[in-house]
Amino acid sequence: MTTGITCKRMIVAGLLCTGLAVPVGVYAIGEPPPSASQSAPARETWQKEFDSVCSRSQDAMSFSEEELATLIKRCDVLLPQIEKLDETRKKVYMGRLRMCRGLYAYVLESKRNEKK
Amino acid sequence: MNRRLFIALALILVFCGQSLSQTGTKKKRPLPYEFGRVVLNNYSEKADLSPVVFEHWIHRSKFTCRVCHVDIGFAMKAGATGIHAVDNERGYYCGSCHNGKMIVDGKAVFAACSNKKLTYEDQRRCDRCHSIGKKVPSDFDFFTFSQPLPKERFGNGIDWEKAEEMGLIKPASFLDGFTIPKHSLAAQKDFDLNPKVEGMPDIIFSHKKHTVWNGCELCHPEIFMGVKKGNSHYNMVDISEGKSCGACHVTVAFPLMDCQRCHSKPVQP
Repeated sequence: MTTGITCKRMIVAGLLCTGLAVPVGVYAIGEPPPSASQSAPARETWQKEFDSVCSRSQDAMSFSEEELATLIKRCDVLLPQIEKLDETRKKVYMGRLRMCRGLYAYVLESKRNEKK
Repeated sequence: MNRRLFIALALILVFCGQSLSQTGTKKKRPLPYEFGRVVLNNYSEKADLSPVVFEHWIHRSKFTCRVCHVDIGFAMKAGATGIHAVDNERGYYCGSCHNGKMIVDGKAVFAACSNKKLTYEDQRRCDRCHSIGKKVPSDFDFFTFSQPLPKERFGNGIDWEKAEEMGLIKPASFLDGFTIPKHSLAAQKDFDLNPKVEGMPDIIFSHKKHTVWNGCELCHPEIFMGVKKGNSHYNMVDISEGKSCGACHVTVAFPLMDCQRCHSKPVQP
């Protein structure tokens, strides 16, 4: 008897969820919804982060080891986001990110070598 | 039998010797207007188009190296970028400027080719770059362009550095939509490097000039990996094969035969 009621409750809950999902749409967790108006800000976010990280390459020599390590980590976080872009932008920004990350890693290594 | 074998071997040796001696030909020195020219044929002929002829001299007079090779993302090796028409159509690579909208010297820069069905006009526009083996009129004539510029002995026959100092060319270091706004780079100290050959003048490396045109990331670490001065050893064989300084000074910047431009420190008696 109790099992029957529980089953009915689960079916009703399932139907309610399905009903809600239709107008709202279902998205994978962490992914932006696929509408153009909402995907644009998501694209800008990675671009802003890219600009923010790579605009500091001129100052690379003046950063501390910790600051350089943070910048490298931020580059690494950007990588999977850039990999999701269309082929053209992926090619352009993967190359740019490689150069930018490479420089920070190079300066970091140089600073560590100086200490030796 | 032995005599016949001997004659046959002798003939083979003479024949092979002749053909081998012809393969070791000297590379033709490019003419001033050809120096820095890049021919791109990754996909052109597959798409029934002539290979692209890219003239470095006109582009380098308009933009610094960094704008094209860092911000736009052109590889440093010819053909390594692998540009498709669709990349240009989307406004990247050649399409960053060649979009029919960008204005340079009061004129719209012609648009790059696209994947669309080509009209006669489109075809003519495509031919402006896909021009191998064609006589294509250009907006820029090398001799008219280079005539007022300071002269050099090799390469394009132009002293590009002096031309910029004199204000005769103004290579832009910013391209809207591609260059990240940055404050200007602190002047880097020039330094000297000791050559291996005794009696050869030291190399004065103009770090300042190189960073102004290239930024940091174009050279480090991909071209110059050495972290500490003196730890990396360079030699002219590697350089002439396009390594280190040769990445630019074999292809587009003043060539290696202009020894004294780098080996410029007077020898101490």
